[in-house]
Amino acid sequence: MKRMNWLGLGFLAPALLVIALFFLAPVIMTGFFAFTNMSTATGITGGDYMLNKSALRALGDAGLPDATLEKLEDAGYAVDEKGLAALAAQIDQETADEFARLHGGESFATRRDVERALKDLRQNRIRKTRDRKAAAELFKRSVLNERFGTEAEFRAALTAGGIAPRDHDQITAQAYTGWVWTTENVELLFTLPSTWRYAANTAIYVAFTLSFNVGFGLFLAISTFYLPAAQAATFRAIWFLPRILPPVLYVLMWKWFTWDTGFLSTVTGWFGMSPKNWMLDSPTHAWTTIVLINGFVGASMGMILFASAIRAIPASMLHASEVDGANRWQQVRYIILPQLRWPILFTTAYQTLSLLTSFEYILLATDGGPGRATEVWALAAYHTALNNYGGNLQYGLGAAFALVLVIIGILASLFYLRLFNFRQLVGKPLIEG
Amino acid sequence: MTILRNILASTALVCAGTAALAEDVTITVWAGGSNEADSYRMDAIELAADMLMRERAIEGEELNITVEKKRDFGGWDDFKQAVTLAAEAGTAPNIVVTSHLDIAPWSQAGLIVPVEDYLDMDAWPLNDIYDNLMEIAAFDGIQWGLPQDAESRPFFFWKETMRGIGYTDQQIAELPAKVAAGEYTLANVLEDAKKAVDAGLVEEGYGFYPRVSNGPDYAQFYQSFGGVLQDPDTGKLVLDKAAMEAMYQFFVDCVEAGVTRKNHIGTDWGQWYNEVANGKAALWHGGTWHFARYTGKEGNDDFFGTIEFSLIPAGNADGRANTITHPLVYLITDQAEDDLEDIAAQLVKIASEPRMNALHAIKSAHLGITHQQSNIELYANDLWASEATERLLGTANAQPNHVQYGAFSETMWKGLEAAWTGVKSPADAVAEVEAELKAKLGDELIVR
Repeated sequence: MKRMNWLGLGFLAPALLVIALFFLAPVIMTGFFAFTNMSTATGITGGDYMLNKSALRALGDAGLPDATLEKLEDAGYAVDEKGLAALAAQIDQETADEFARLHGGESFATRRDVERALKDLRQNRIRKTRDRKAAAELFKRSVLNERFGTEAEFRAALTAGGIAPRDHDQITAQAYTGWVWTTENVELLFTLPSTWRYAANTAIYVAFTLSFNVGFGLFLAISTFYLPAAQAATFRAIWFLPRILPPVLYVLMWKWFTWDTGFLSTVTGWFGMSPKNWMLDSPTHAWTTIVLINGFVGASMGMILFASAIRAIPASMLHASEVDGANRWQQVRYIILPQLRWPILFTTAYQTLSLLTSFEYILLATDGGPGRATEVWALAAYHTALNNYGGNLQYGLGAAFALVLVIIGILASLFYLRLFNFRQLVGKPLIEG
Repeated sequence: MTILRNILASTALVCAGTAALAEDVTITVWAGGSNEADSYRMDAIELAADMLMRERAIEGEELNITVEKKRDFGGWDDFKQAVTLAAEAGTAPNIVVTSHLDIAPWSQAGLIVPVEDYLDMDAWPLNDIYDNLMEIAAFDGIQWGLPQDAESRPFFFWKETMRGIGYTDQQIAELPAKVAAGEYTLANVLEDAKKAVDAGLVEEGYGFYPRVSNGPDYAQFYQSFGGVLQDPDTGKLVLDKAAMEAMYQFFVDCVEAGVTRKNHIGTDWGQWYNEVANGKAALWHGGTWHFARYTGKEGNDDFFGTIEFSLIPAGNADGRANTITHPLVYLITDQAEDDLEDIAAQLVKIASEPRMNALHAIKSAHLGITHQQSNIELYANDLWASEATERLLGTANAQPNHVQYGAFSETMWKGLEAAWTGVKSPADAVAEVEAELKAKLGDELIVR
């Protein structure tokens, strides 16, 4: 018996692995990323400590005392005893002596200046660029533009640079290049005017697409039910095509259909209408197209589910109603629809959840256009986290967008489970009871 | 015996020495946004490797460099994701060719190392590279990369259409100078585009035919109306509300006048190139590298006979005629071994030699990066390269290297999209851009 269990688990293992890798891990990581300021610039794996000009400027704005700022900024490079001793140790005493004769006691702002000074050496030339750079580094007294791997090293360098200890914390925090925990993303979501519009767009998208999916799926299922079997099968097969077409190809055909040089414009052109892009002309056009693109895919799924559910209705009930003189509409209204309650609820629930998070057809068709009128929440998450012309992808903010969807998804699932009264739904069949 | 022993000993020494010095390294180069015409972005590294190996051999060091090249990324997004993910995983390519805008975020992230740590910036050929291009490859006073090419983004006129609305050949030839002097402005662009549409020379929506997606080009129009991208004193990004609104208004006016399509954004690039290269649009703007596409794939055999080009015209009295150069740069990534970074740096240095860079410039219709390129016949004899360098590159400025510039650029574009497509009025769009930028950039933004 025990071996059987192991076998079962073995069979399940691939599925569990897939769920863990592609579902659980991303969800957990989303929750975690959402509360960080992670971006391309901060990296994912952690950071170092580096002070550059931008950081100094920010410190100045944040009120770091001018004296400290100047000290950080002006430290530069100094040809002092310490540096010369290091030079003697690294190359030789003669080189150090000649350099002391030429530039002893001088200060330089940048390494390039020191390199130029080192080129003045005549008897003891440093011939390799790399050696000259290494030699120049010996005179560095500034902490600027150097990456320190650990906080301790950075603080030690600050101390060595004579920076007052009370400023260390502020400077260290600014110098950290990695990500930090923050609730800023969530606050941004509530303050940005665009996020409210994305939420409204998502509501429009889900409501209209869902109504179309369920309504049209129901219409197809019922109308094909009354057709002769062979014709019904053909119709259903045709309506199933959008679902089995590759999405990229399917949307491409929609584009050809709606472009201003496409099919619709050509046909309307025969009647004297000027050509226009029927997909992107206005937000209304864009929404109509998107609902139709998604709707035809979704409706076919509803159609299959509803059609099989109708088949499950005992034919005797329909025959009996005909004997009683019921017409087709009355049959639909009083026999078929009441029996379709569960399938309709299931389709609604399932499709709400999948529509909330789906954006692939919108991305391919309008990419959120025109003017972000069709930018839904999930698409905004994608654009923020993974698409940026300037190069700094905002993983943290994107994850915060996604986290909202995860939360709504979980809440909606709980609500639906309650609505379906799951326990009753899977209760023991009465026949065997 | 002694002689034999000496010979043996010295042979052994030489063998041991060679064995110790022989080094096999593989240098990987990834180039973003590149197609066949841009192959010298990577091929130049191969040529440079050959040169470096010969130099080292003369110095008595045996160095074998294998260069691995890759440029088939889906697009800029895929390329940048590939580079950053590879770097996080510790398998970054040694050399990347990418936008200079990546320097700010990638340097903070520690993905790249400054070339100035390895190269003598006062030595040839680096001391011959244009100063403004070197500056574009620097960030916070550090020379992170080297410019790989230069370009700029001109305004184009289809000569036949211009003649059709009453310009003489002489007047067309004078247009570039008039644009540069601020005498021909975007108001004239709108006017001429309208004439071309009204006269039926081009279809409605084809009077002024702009770029179809976000890009540096739109920052040019912001500058045309007096907008400034970065405050030179503080290094902060600048939102000039009046300039932004005037720029949005210009595109709205174009749509209302019927010279630009309301749903122009998102037009297929292939369709766009084909249309502008063959006179379907009256006025448009693009990049210097378009020359290769128009005269190559799109089959325009007489570029100079059919097209006139100039700076992007000024928008109003506050602005100026301008063009933005958006050079790609060679960046060296952080590697476990310092030697690899050094070799990579030497390679990009050699690849920046004028003669070497001219191969890329002419093959891909980009502009040169060094002064001496004008003394290379291949470059100097090319009419487009020399004309475009002279007419455009002198006035070209670049977008700022700033960690937050990506967010700035995206937000500006979102606002333009909303105004252009009629979803919002220009004033409302600017108000939203302001709110969004203030929230996202905080202290790094100056609003004027």
